[in-house]
Amino acid sequence: MSEVKTHSIDISAMQRSQQALRIEDEKVCLSVNDLHLYYGEKEALKGIDMIIPEKKVTAFIGPSGCGKSTLLRCFNRMNDLVDSCRITGEINLHDSNIYAKGTDVAELRRRVGMVFQKPNPFPKSIYENVAYGLRIQGINKKRILDETVEWALRSAALWDEVKDRLHESALGMSGGQQQRLVIARTVAVKPEVLLLDEPASALDPISTLKIEELIHELKKDFTIAIVTHNMQQAARVSDYTAFMYIGDLVEFGDTNTLFTNPSKQQTEDYITGRYG
Amino acid sequence: MSSEIKMEKKTVSEWVKSGDPWVWLNAGAVAISVIMVVGLLLLIAVRGLGHFWPADVMQATYSLPGEKAYTVAAERVESVDVTSAQLREAGVNLPENEDAILQRTLLKMGNRDVYGADFGWVLDKYLSDIKTPSMLFAAERHEWGNLYGYLKSVKNDGQIISQTNDLTETDSSLATWAAFEKSIERASTIHEDIKEIEKSEIGTINYALERIRLKQRRLELSGDLTPAVEADLAVERSVHDAEYAVLQEKLAVLYQAINRDSFTVQVMDGTLHEVQVSKIVHAFRPNAMGVTAKLGFYFNKVWEFLTDDPREANTEGGVFPAIFGTVMMVLLMTVLVTPFGVVAAVYLREYATQGIVTRIIRIAVNNLAGVPSIVYGVFGLGFFIYFLGSGIDEAFFPEALPSPTFGTGGLMWASITLALLTVPVVIVATEEGLSRIPRNVREGSLALGATKAETLWRVVLPMASPAIMTGVILAVARAAGEVAPLMLVGVVKLAPTLPLDGNYPFIHLDQKFMHLGFHIYDVGFQSPNVEAARPLVYATAFLLVMVIALLNLSAVTIRNHLREKYKSLEM
Repeated sequence: MSEVKTHSIDISAMQRSQQALRIEDEKVCLSVNDLHLYYGEKEALKGIDMIIPEKKVTAFIGPSGCGKSTLLRCFNRMNDLVDSCRITGEINLHDSNIYAKGTDVAELRRRVGMVFQKPNPFPKSIYENVAYGLRIQGINKKRILDETVEWALRSAALWDEVKDRLHESALGMSGGQQQRLVIARTVAVKPEVLLLDEPASALDPISTLKIEELIHELKKDFTIAIVTHNMQQAARVSDYTAFMYIGDLVEFGDTNTLFTNPSKQQTEDYITGRYG
Repeated sequence: MSSEIKMEKKTVSEWVKSGDPWVWLNAGAVAISVIMVVGLLLLIAVRGLGHFWPADVMQATYSLPGEKAYTVAAERVESVDVTSAQLREAGVNLPENEDAILQRTLLKMGNRDVYGADFGWVLDKYLSDIKTPSMLFAAERHEWGNLYGYLKSVKNDGQIISQTNDLTETDSSLATWAAFEKSIERASTIHEDIKEIEKSEIGTINYALERIRLKQRRLELSGDLTPAVEADLAVERSVHDAEYAVLQEKLAVLYQAINRDSFTVQVMDGTLHEVQVSKIVHAFRPNAMGVTAKLGFYFNKVWEFLTDDPREANTEGGVFPAIFGTVMMVLLMTVLVTPFGVVAAVYLREYATQGIVTRIIRIAVNNLAGVPSIVYGVFGLGFFIYFLGSGIDEAFFPEALPSPTFGTGGLMWASITLALLTVPVVIVATEEGLSRIPRNVREGSLALGATKAETLWRVVLPMASPAIMTGVILAVARAAGEVAPLMLVGVVKLAPTLPLDGNYPFIHLDQKFMHLGFHIYDVGFQSPNVEAARPLVYATAFLLVMVIALLNLSAVTIRNHLREKYKSLEM
């Protein structure tokens, strides 16, 4: 518990001390060009243009139904699973368009991992949950699996809690542990990008804090995009923030600037709680 | 107090509104179902299981007015009341002043070879001098049913080794009885040996000879039968023939040994009969047996029922081949239906575009479950056996023709027919299970770079396995109780060998088999000896219910185990 407290202070201190970041200085990981998405007739994303900078945390905020989760799910083509969904425009991961014909979607999803709102561990042991992605890739050597599982669980700050019960069912863990397990599972396949879709919204405050801490650690190695309803959380964990409203990207920029000095009236209204 | 008064004043509409009538209706429906199930089980259990109890054998004098009195020795089977008018119509001579209603009892008198019939009705009123003498014995025979009488002597190679003139328990009668029991024991041991040689060893040789014949015929058909090969085959055959000759000699010795002993018995009409001991399965004196001895005898009989082959047109002996056939057929059916149903359901639910075509297919599948089973039997016979089976015979077993191998009913066709019958159940249950797997678990797997197939195989199907098992349970329950289609596709009254034995290839899928359900029908309605068969119908029915319950229970256990393992559906 004490550990948690010290860390939380660290995070806010670091956040405050940062200078305003400039998006032009960042390396581009994902770039979105004129992305339109339709659910049947309804246009859910109305021409998004933005970049996701590498090894930074980019937060998406906005009222419910604004399309932020939909946009996030475009990054690893999760929307393909929805029958009525149609997409135009392009998203480039480094320099290749992920919506180009012949893209290996499974490979893309391995490179762009995703963590969902509700913890969704598989009904397998903790170990097997983390090893799942590796086994999918055909890695079955026990030594490699053991090493990777430990590394991933350590990365997700879960190792110390579960190292003695790796072979017990993951369903016996608490919600917060399950969510960190899911993060460990995603990290284990060493993706380039981590997409977090409201990863803490189903968790209690202490677990939320742990997840935030974790995000901070993970951005050293991964590009992170996070959708959140909680503006404090966005302010705490992200370097860049995008504010979306009914399918439009209203404002995108350095988090500090966006929260302290937004350039659009709509953004200001939202972050000051006038609607949403 | 006040509430009680209020309740009494409740109007009908208030009472209906309160929901009480529905609760009563529901509870009543449940109660009726429970009573029916329990009543059914009790009926068949009591009637069936009572059969094995060694009832006392009574001896009595039966003297109908105007007819010659005679002595009977018999077990009471059942009693009913009849009117004297009815009896007169049936031709029984009754005095004028006879009671209006008389009690009539069915007696099992045995000695079919002597009396011509082993069951008979008597009027209780005219039975007199009833006693249960302890030396009166009952003997089960391999043929002709039970024998009741008094033991007079035991002979060894025609020489009397022990004899008695006493009909009561005396030293001499007990000594003769002891000699008799010893002789029976010896005969049963030899009988076992003979059966072992005849069924197993000679069976193996016959099987090998048949294979040689088929091999020769195959070579003949393909034109490869050179004199050299033929000579080889002849050598092989002569080896088996030699073995056979050895066994024949052994058998001759055993037969001579088993026929060494005989005994004389005095039956109720006072005549003496000499019977060979080898004809006796076991002999016992029910009137001299205590409760413990009777219990021991009872469980022996039940065990014999479960493990022995049937005798005497299925009215005696056991039902082991039928149990074996039923279980084997159901297991084979399960092995066939599970993958087939699951694969079909996966395609319907996961891959097929959900549209009008899948809707029609789904309706068709559901309707298949409602097709009468005899229709499946006809289909199995027409398509599987006559079309596929004879095709297989022509392609793979031409040497056996014209006698069919797969072109006739058999274990495989029966299992496939039943698999077809039960596949809708598995499909529906599996689809239901697949649709209940939370979407976020699938997405979790896809997001890790798994393809749809990998997700299905590694996550979705394991999680759906309890639902699949539910489908399998329903399929097993339906298949195990099915009889009608089986009569067309491979079940027989009496199968000489089991479909699983020591002869290569061990499982004989082409063989006909026995089935408990058909056995009930056969014993109950096709039997030459109705009275003797009746208790067996109940016993077999009870056994069939038990076998199905056991199969179901094991499936339920597996399902609960899986449920425990994958209980994440509350997410």
